[in-house]
Amino acid sequence: MIARRAAAVFVAVAATAAVAWLSRLPSDFGGGAGATIRLSWRAAGVPVEDCRTRTEEELAALPVHMRSPQECTRALAPFELAVALGGQPVVRDTVFPKGARGDRPVYVFRDLPAAAGRVPLSITFEALAGEGAQPGDAPTRYAWDGVVEVAAGHVALVTLDGEGKLVVRTPGVR
Amino acid sequence: MMYSRDAQDRTPPAPRAETPPATRRPPAARSLGLRALARLDAAFNALYGWRFNPLYHSGALVVACFVVLLATGLYLLLFYRIGAPHASVAAIEAQWWGGRWIRGLHRYASDLAIVAAVVHGARMFLQRRTWGPRALAWVSGVLLLGVFLVCGWTGYVMVWDAHGHLLAVEGARILDALPVFSEPLGRAFTGEEPVPAAFFFMNLFAHIALPVGVALVLWVHVSRLARPQLLPPRPLLWGTVGLFAVAAVAWPPALGPEADLLRLPAPAEADWVYGFWLPAARAVPAGWVWAAGGAAVAAVLFVPALTKPRKAKAPPPSWVNPRHCTGCEQCFEDCPYEAISMVERDDGREGLVGLVDPARCVSCGVCAGSCAPMGVGPPGRTGRDQLAGVKAFLAEAAPGPREVVVVGCLHGATGAVAAGSNGSRATAGARVLRVGCVGNLHTSVLEYLVRAGAGGVLVAACPPRDCRSREGVKWFHERLDNGREAELQERVDRSRIEVVYAAAGEGRVLRRGVERCRSRALAMEEAAAERDFDVGADCDLDETAP
Repeated sequence: MIARRAAAVFVAVAATAAVAWLSRLPSDFGGGAGATIRLSWRAAGVPVEDCRTRTEEELAALPVHMRSPQECTRALAPFELAVALGGQPVVRDTVFPKGARGDRPVYVFRDLPAAAGRVPLSITFEALAGEGAQPGDAPTRYAWDGVVEVAAGHVALVTLDGEGKLVVRTPGVR
Repeated sequence: MMYSRDAQDRTPPAPRAETPPATRRPPAARSLGLRALARLDAAFNALYGWRFNPLYHSGALVVACFVVLLATGLYLLLFYRIGAPHASVAAIEAQWWGGRWIRGLHRYASDLAIVAAVVHGARMFLQRRTWGPRALAWVSGVLLLGVFLVCGWTGYVMVWDAHGHLLAVEGARILDALPVFSEPLGRAFTGEEPVPAAFFFMNLFAHIALPVGVALVLWVHVSRLARPQLLPPRPLLWGTVGLFAVAAVAWPPALGPEADLLRLPAPAEADWVYGFWLPAARAVPAGWVWAAGGAAVAAVLFVPALTKPRKAKAPPPSWVNPRHCTGCEQCFEDCPYEAISMVERDDGREGLVGLVDPARCVSCGVCAGSCAPMGVGPPGRTGRDQLAGVKAFLAEAAPGPREVVVVGCLHGATGAVAAGSNGSRATAGARVLRVGCVGNLHTSVLEYLVRAGAGGVLVAACPPRDCRSREGVKWFHERLDNGREAELQERVDRSRIEVVYAAAGEGRVLRRGVERCRSRALAMEEAAAERDFDVGADCDLDETAP
């Protein structure tokens, strides 16, 4: 009887300890000795307008107050992102503007694992603006080329500054 | 009641030829799982007794954890500040006299809730209690587990330490794969600017609102049960809470370093009960996470459809024979699934008649045991069918006064005997009359066996908390010992009937019960022989002698 009670207490304590252990298991989800280059910016985008002239029949079918001679669809142009780390191309991707109609700004947000220390980094982010592009004041090309110095376990943040230029927000940039 | 009388066929349905579901062989994997579960149950029964076996109370333990989480969460809420999440949790941690262990208990209770919910779900799956009318409980149970996991996720993000940082970033990455956000959520965690307090407010709001959802889904989860038992028995409840409180005092969870978005997550303690998905999720694109997670959830939600037997093999729902129904309402009272209602008769007789809703009936057969005139039950398992079965059983060979007949539940230890795993050793040579569930058993069957001359009748039931029919064993006891309607008649020699609780893995318990019952039968036989002793005839006394 005593042995059974002792066993019952032991099992209860062991089960409690097992749950507590699962709850606080030492874990390392970090990059170890590595670092990260984080690309994060929002670009206003380059408007692209595709217009055509309505026919007389189409105009007549419209209510009077909607009879605009031109029918236009407006969207933003996609951008091409190219990144090279240590001279090796690691990203070459087309980034599309957000929104169901593609008329929201273009966002870039991705983490690139990198070796800690001095890392040559080259970024180009260029609008794929074809016919109908109306860039206006919006920049169509962003670029950054240089060496990033990033410590182990740290993140170097590449973003846009107030003037719309790519900058690296980590101490140690040359 | 939505179900109308017109929907019920007036003619009794024919019993299906095949064996009831309990006797069908499950798939090999589930059979293996059932055996493992039976062994675990037996081991825990040996340690804690069936009354306090935590495996039998896994569902109620989840509710108990929920109550503990609400109580401890309210305390923690008093000190939490969305403007300084990590600092406020650190201040709670500094309360060595209260905050630290309350936070520890909050965390351990949340982990135990998930573990207990998984155990509960696995039990239901292995015992095939997932389809038909139970599908609602299964689906709502899966939903409950999901809400618990999401609630836990928000709780860890609230702390805003290294683990919370990781969960927030990973969660945002996965959510960003959905084409619904005009700006990626992950950009809130770039490190360019501090995470806004609005984020922590929303997170706190979700952490408080989700438990309201838990309560609602819990209500749905038990909505098809009569008299749901929401909390475990007190010794188990307070024993569990006490143990985890001691663990929270002796080994409180550590608070990790504050999240620094411009640093990679530092090594820290992680909760693998809530973060089990992290290592795999981090290694693959977010779209894959959605695909794998969606497939897993769909598979679990489809369990009711996957485990549902084909129509021809599905156990038929109970049926009320209006000719025999006296309108006593006992089946209506006893049904564990509220599947029976009482409606006005339409056959010219006065009073009420029972009506079974097939959509709610799980074919447990408890009503068959509760009906004195044997007018209700699943086709083939009504009281009348049971009497026909016991007559056939006795026709094979009438039991002698030194013989024990075991009337056993298919789901318990006698089910294992039937499957041949324990052989006849478990019943020590006694003959076995199997029933779908002891709750299904009509007391007339016992009377018939005793009057047929059986020395002893041993009813081998599952432990009440593990009854597949929920309240079958409870009602059987009431009928046997406490005069509940359809009771064992007074004319029956009660001393010849014994009850033993022997779960599927407890062949030894069953054997001991048979041996005890046999010894008793022998003792009664010897006592009867002594009573019948005729001194004059047996001792050849010469009464004419002086």
